[in-house]
Amino acid sequence: MEKVLLGFAAALAVGLCAIATGLAQSRIGSAGAGTLAEKPELTGTIIILLAIPETMVILGFVVAAMILYL
Amino acid sequence: MIVAMSKVEIIGPMELLFPVLDQVRSLGMFQVEQDMRGFVDKEEEKAFQPVGLDKKTLTERLYFENLSARIDQLATFLPKLPLRCSYLEPQSVVATVADVIDKHTALCGGLCRLQDTLRGEREELLRQTAFLDALEPLFRTAGEGMGLDFIGVSLKSSEAVDPLYQLISRLTDGAFAFVTANGPEGTVIVLITVPAGLAGQVRDVLNGERIPELVFPASIGQLPFPDKVKKARQRISDISGELERINAELQRFAARWGPTYHCVREWVLDRLGLLTTTVAIHKTDFCFFIHGWMPSPDVKKLRAALNGHFCGRVIVEEREVLEEEMDAIPIAIRNPPYFRPFELFSRILPLPSYRSYDPTPFIGIFFPIFFGMILGDVGYGLLLLVGALVMLKLFRTRRNLHDAALILLVSSCYAVVFGFLYGECFGGSAGGWSLLKKTCVIERSRSIMPMLAFSLSIGVVHITLGLALGLWSALRRKAARESLAKFVSILMLLCLTALAASLFTPFPYPVRMTLNVAVLAAIPLMLLTGGLLAPLEMMKNVGNIISYARIMAIGLASVLIAQVANRFAGLTGDVLTGAVAAGLIHVINIALGIFSPTIHALRLHYVEFFDKFIVYGGRRFEPFKKTS
Repeated sequence: MEKVLLGFAAALAVGLCAIATGLAQSRIGSAGAGTLAEKPELTGTIIILLAIPETMVILGFVVAAMILYL
Repeated sequence: MIVAMSKVEIIGPMELLFPVLDQVRSLGMFQVEQDMRGFVDKEEEKAFQPVGLDKKTLTERLYFENLSARIDQLATFLPKLPLRCSYLEPQSVVATVADVIDKHTALCGGLCRLQDTLRGEREELLRQTAFLDALEPLFRTAGEGMGLDFIGVSLKSSEAVDPLYQLISRLTDGAFAFVTANGPEGTVIVLITVPAGLAGQVRDVLNGERIPELVFPASIGQLPFPDKVKKARQRISDISGELERINAELQRFAARWGPTYHCVREWVLDRLGLLTTTVAIHKTDFCFFIHGWMPSPDVKKLRAALNGHFCGRVIVEEREVLEEEMDAIPIAIRNPPYFRPFELFSRILPLPSYRSYDPTPFIGIFFPIFFGMILGDVGYGLLLLVGALVMLKLFRTRRNLHDAALILLVSSCYAVVFGFLYGECFGGSAGGWSLLKKTCVIERSRSIMPMLAFSLSIGVVHITLGLALGLWSALRRKAARESLAKFVSILMLLCLTALAASLFTPFPYPVRMTLNVAVLAAIPLMLLTGGLLAPLEMMKNVGNIISYARIMAIGLASVLIAQVANRFAGLTGDVLTGAVAAGLIHVINIALGIFSPTIHALRLHYVEFFDKFIVYGGRRFEPFKKTS
């Protein structure tokens, strides 16, 4: 039972963070697409901005790893 | 790397101003500054006057500006052809060009306008031909007769046919013929034949009902309906011939005159550049003074060139750069050949300020390592290496793609090296390959926590290096408080890292106690030097270090996808199907393996690392040089 709960907790840690990252990326993505239509020279900056919210899911992953392996 | 710049003053007799400017421009290493502040003492400023343009020079400048604008206008009429080299000396033909350019512009402009008119007419005729094609069989049905008039209309859909029929029937008391045919894009073409006396009334009513009659271009508008089709086709053919003739004439003109106009334009722009720069120069009663910036290593070259050319009559003097001028120094960036391709990534960022650092060498050192650590697969690395070599061969002349290929080449080498260390080849573990077994240090897919600790320790090193560079930068700027704040941050970060490590590895009690005391002592020091926001800054640093966990996380995702591909191949039960399925998944993984490590390695630099020590806001070094 404890193993199941640990697995569930780890899944929650990654899953919720992934949803949050997805939401943030969808907004940045749509704004970025609008920006690129006007200023294509900002492609690099937009790609970097798009990668920024991934920190959340990385943190979620670290927490999940700690739940499962520590 | 940011090139050291020198504040330079060039002094010479007034009569040598233009020859000196021409020489400086041909060397292309000096940026002229209009502002005299910092170059001359305040008390002496009154003795200097800007070199105003005399009447003759001003006339010359206006003449060249006008000529350049007229050449540009003529160029808009000419087709873009590869230009041959002009053998004429531009200066000798400027006057001739100025004389004939209006005639040429009128000729080419007239041809272009005629071309536009003919194109418009042809397009209109082509559009009408579609309707005429539909109308042609209707004439045969309607027949020809004296005293009859034909009205052609186009309806959007067949539903409008019946109401129109009723309307015409009412207007003509049944004295009409009404035939329909399908037109282009779902329209219905209707030909109405009515007695000539009723035609006007029918047209008025149709206009009132907003049913437009088909209108034909003037060239065929007056013809009887049956002749329209024939005439329209004939006209389209004539127009095409005429357009070809005009195009050939314009091409002949461009081939004959284009090179001359091009070389005259280049010469005029060069001359204008010289005259425009003159405004930024100052003079006394006898001398001119040119102030500006140039790369320090080039000062000797400039001095030698001017000495040689003007026999020591022109002096090049280096001035002391004042503290308050540091932010105004233009930024020139020159990197060794290995780092140069990585400028592709640093160009995305704003220019650093003069006392800060060029990000290119840091990207050049750490980016391929991070890329290799994330991808870390011998097979993938070798494939990317081959891909990079092919790109290098294909894109020799396209700078950005060539640079990208060089970056991929270096990064794929690191991917191969880390592939050996991880013991991975196309996701296969070290167990299956004897060579990989020997070189394997850690298996990523089975050592999650050690890899996480490794990634975080990379983060600690990288962030601490960033803070140390920030400390050095603050010391160079003589910002004592900022330096102390950076130093305390480094101390705090290292103590926290050691304390975190002590949770996993037993540390001796005195060491642990010392660390605790150091952290407690650093907190008030941090608040004193960094203000109330300092703890938040420290939290940000810790968050930045945790962000380096992506090195392990994305690498793990890559190796797991590769393993899934291999298992998938085994599950199919057929060699060919398995190979195709595995190959497809591996191809997707390789594509992700290029994109993902690039984005994340760059992000670690731009967001986490450079934030610690690079100050942006420099202005680009733009030397005075020939435009052509």
